[in-house]
Amino acid sequence: MAKVLEGPGMGLLRKWGIQTPNYVVVSSLEEFEQLTQRHEWLKKEKLVVKAHEALGSRFKLGLVKVGLDVAEARTAVKDMLGRTVDTLVIGQVIVSEAVPHQEEYYAAVKSTRDGADILVASCGGIEVEANWDRVRRISVEVGEFPTNEALRAVVNEAGFSGPIAEKMVEFTAKLYRCFDNEDAQYLEINPVAQRADGELIALDVVTLLDGDAKFRHPDWTFPFAAEFGRAYTQNELDVMAVDSKVKGSVKLIEIPGGDIAMLPAGGGASVYYCDAVVARGGKLANYAEYSGDPPDWAVEVLTEKVCSLPGIKNIIVGGAIANFTDVKKTFSGIISAFRKAKAQGKLDGVKIWVRRGGPNEKEGLAAMRALRDEGFDIEVFDRYTPLTDIVDMALAKKDTPH
Amino acid sequence: MSILATKDTYVVIQGGPAGVNAARRMAEFCYMIKRPLNVLAFVYPPDAGKTNEIVYGSELVVVPVYKTIAEATAQHPAINTSLVYIGADRAYAAAKEALDDPRIRVVSMITEGVPEKDAKLLGKHARKLGKIFNGPSSIGVLSAGECRLGVIGGAFDNLIACKLYRPGSFGVITKSGGLSNEIIWLCSQFADGITTAIGIGGDAYPGTDYVTYLEMFEQDPQTKAVVIVGEMGGDLEERAAEWYAARPRRIKLIGIVSGFCQESLPKGMKFGHAGAKEGLKGEGSARSKTDALKKAGVLVPETFGGLGPAIKTVYEELLKAGDVTPIPEVPESALPKLPKPVEQSMKAGEVLVTPLIKTTISDDRGDEPLYDGYPASELINKGYDIPHVIGLLWNKRLLSKQEAEIIRRIIMLSADHGPCVSGALATIIAACAGIGMSQAVAAGLIMIGPRFGGAVTDAGRWFKYAVENKMSVNEFLAYMKQHVGPVPGIGHRVKSVRNPDKRVQELVSYVKGLGIPTPHLDFALEVEKATTAKKENLILNVDGTMAAVLVDLGFPVETLNGFFILARTIGLIGHWADQQRQGSRLIRLFDYLVNYAVPKRREVPPLH
Repeated sequence: MAKVLEGPGMGLLRKWGIQTPNYVVVSSLEEFEQLTQRHEWLKKEKLVVKAHEALGSRFKLGLVKVGLDVAEARTAVKDMLGRTVDTLVIGQVIVSEAVPHQEEYYAAVKSTRDGADILVASCGGIEVEANWDRVRRISVEVGEFPTNEALRAVVNEAGFSGPIAEKMVEFTAKLYRCFDNEDAQYLEINPVAQRADGELIALDVVTLLDGDAKFRHPDWTFPFAAEFGRAYTQNELDVMAVDSKVKGSVKLIEIPGGDIAMLPAGGGASVYYCDAVVARGGKLANYAEYSGDPPDWAVEVLTEKVCSLPGIKNIIVGGAIANFTDVKKTFSGIISAFRKAKAQGKLDGVKIWVRRGGPNEKEGLAAMRALRDEGFDIEVFDRYTPLTDIVDMALAKKDTPH
Repeated sequence: MSILATKDTYVVIQGGPAGVNAARRMAEFCYMIKRPLNVLAFVYPPDAGKTNEIVYGSELVVVPVYKTIAEATAQHPAINTSLVYIGADRAYAAAKEALDDPRIRVVSMITEGVPEKDAKLLGKHARKLGKIFNGPSSIGVLSAGECRLGVIGGAFDNLIACKLYRPGSFGVITKSGGLSNEIIWLCSQFADGITTAIGIGGDAYPGTDYVTYLEMFEQDPQTKAVVIVGEMGGDLEERAAEWYAARPRRIKLIGIVSGFCQESLPKGMKFGHAGAKEGLKGEGSARSKTDALKKAGVLVPETFGGLGPAIKTVYEELLKAGDVTPIPEVPESALPKLPKPVEQSMKAGEVLVTPLIKTTISDDRGDEPLYDGYPASELINKGYDIPHVIGLLWNKRLLSKQEAEIIRRIIMLSADHGPCVSGALATIIAACAGIGMSQAVAAGLIMIGPRFGGAVTDAGRWFKYAVENKMSVNEFLAYMKQHVGPVPGIGHRVKSVRNPDKRVQELVSYVKGLGIPTPHLDFALEVEKATTAKKENLILNVDGTMAAVLVDLGFPVETLNGFFILARTIGLIGHWADQQRQGSRLIRLFDYLVNYAVPKRREVPPLH
């Protein structure tokens, strides 16, 4: 799932004929000033200024300002740009026209196993969140398009009638077309507002696209936003850069404050390792995973980052019995990074726990075991030790069998 | 019995190198259970018409590659299953093509990063046709003792360790590829092994879900229990729970779900497979799935570590109830073995191989080449130079600084001699004809022989012969006249006593100035005195001078032409590059440069 910020999200809606307020995304005050010369509406209309970043609770953080004239908007742009929230520096703001309106509604399309659900409600904004039971939905099978009758039925059921119901039918049809053609996984317009001239307009949009479909959307020139409500760290970006270059995958997410560093293999097993740490009361310092027989240098980069996490006491080099990831080769990458980290003193007081199976497991595990002779504090187990027992041992709930 | 992949499964693989690799793994399995290879064809348009060679035991099986599925199934009507190893952008079209073929019943896709919409469309299409679409991102399907689809099960040793040569009683369904193998292992350690293990893929909407496969397992009398390994996200596990609770089931169900760590992670932080995403309103969490499974009567261990003992408990219940009988262990000696590659057998000291060639100069087996035992980088770092490398590779001797300097000068002096000489001209003509570097340079090198540049070895041989046999100049000249002919290394087309060869003078004066013993050079200069007395151009030429000096340095005579060849190659490459740079066009001789000493035009007589 790839989150898309409001600006490009609005752009996709417009592409499929949904009206949105006028807006500009700016990354400097100069840019904003130039655009005020070009766009009359910036001078005429009341404006909304929002930080254009992947941030939750922008309202609470004071990163949304409403009802501004152009001079006030200028001040807001100036104040927001460059502000730091946690590790994130605000680099863009979106300035949009405040659209005077009476009623607010809700419309969304959500991916389901068989296709998608179209959701509508005759209330919008915070009201719909408080009254979720007023939301009505129809399911559309993948590869199908909802008939006007079906849309009309759900719109009526949601409490629309008369001309507005017809407008809503048209609106949801456009929204579904956008969803289907843009490989979206979630599109939520809240609120849908009715303008003075009676037309419906999307005032805010949440857009999640299927990042895997990027290859057939050459016009997706915008970056995808981080999904955790914080910016990626430098280490995470470094590992993502490696990941995009290699066959197989390497992944890293840092979790500040933990002391158990994770370096397990496999998208499935890695989560069981994390579960085991949490179940035993441990605190994760990160999530990591390598799989699909990545080259040893990629695993080496990932290991370097994991060894550099502050305050770690244990490193869990776990993994199931691989199908085709070469244990010897991937371990040689891990071992190189371990040696480097040890020379830099990063592994002082850190205990390493290994459990793994798969192609060339004997050689790989023997190489790990040999690290003891180099003064590493390391415990190595093979397939006969259950998957997550090393976590139990690391957290001293189980004795090390020596 | 088993499900989905059986003794009657015959496969077409759609894909290139990754598909070939899967076929090799599948061949290992077929070999282990003593059945012929079940991969009958590949479909991969870039290689259509070619064949892939798949190792089967100690043989190679030739498997044809076709352009389309229709061609493959027409040629091999037994095919009923397709494995898709095609990139994400073309995977949909490939799988659709396979599903639409009337002979194919099952399509399993390993491709990762397939758009969700494509996966949903394929799943729907397969259901409409009453077929199975498994995946995307599926590691494959494996039925013990019957059939392997894809690389599931890993290396051959693991197949044996997990007793996959014969069926057990446990079915396995996982999203994760790595964990499928782990569960297969657990079933072989804590119970009697598996019937069929299926990787359904870690995407949000797998083409076929747990319920479909659970129903198939329920209908398979060999399968007594099933292990499912789930993940947070989606509702597949809830549907499985619903299915299990709907009515009494013959199979026992063990389940586990990952993603509990999510509860204590910072909000919004998610990881694992693409499908491992909690719903926007909190549905699909590990806890709600686990609760649903437990409520349905599924045996759910507290942690993954509890899975082995849970499998054991179920197995013991089955034993007690008489639903299964213990399978006798196959003795170690009777277990199938994969023929080893010759390298492994040699390492184990099991075979003796007579080497085909022998080398005494160079070893490339380590992390860098060794020249006569010396690592190249160490030579560089300790100040050695190209002449030293020549000394090591041509004569297995580390030269002194002084000797190296002589070699360096020889190479510099003979690197080029203008465009008119035979070698350069040949290279230039070739370059003008648009010939590539290696061939054009080779054309120039071909000219090196008795009349051009190639007299060094012969000159060295005879000067050495004379000095070894303590011949006088006159004895030598008489001997050469009688037995050999003109003295190699003596004489020049243009140069003479009055127009001396500057290169020869330069080399002679340098070598003589060093004060080292040079018996061959001295002898050659004496010969020159005698021959120039007879004819002005019978000077010691550059070949002869080099030869005498190099024999003095101890180089074997058969290497001597190499100095000229090596040096002149520098010039020939230069001439080729020069013509390229100029964009030279094809040249030919003008007819006025040819003496046409040919008969006049005449009539061709009738053929008898």
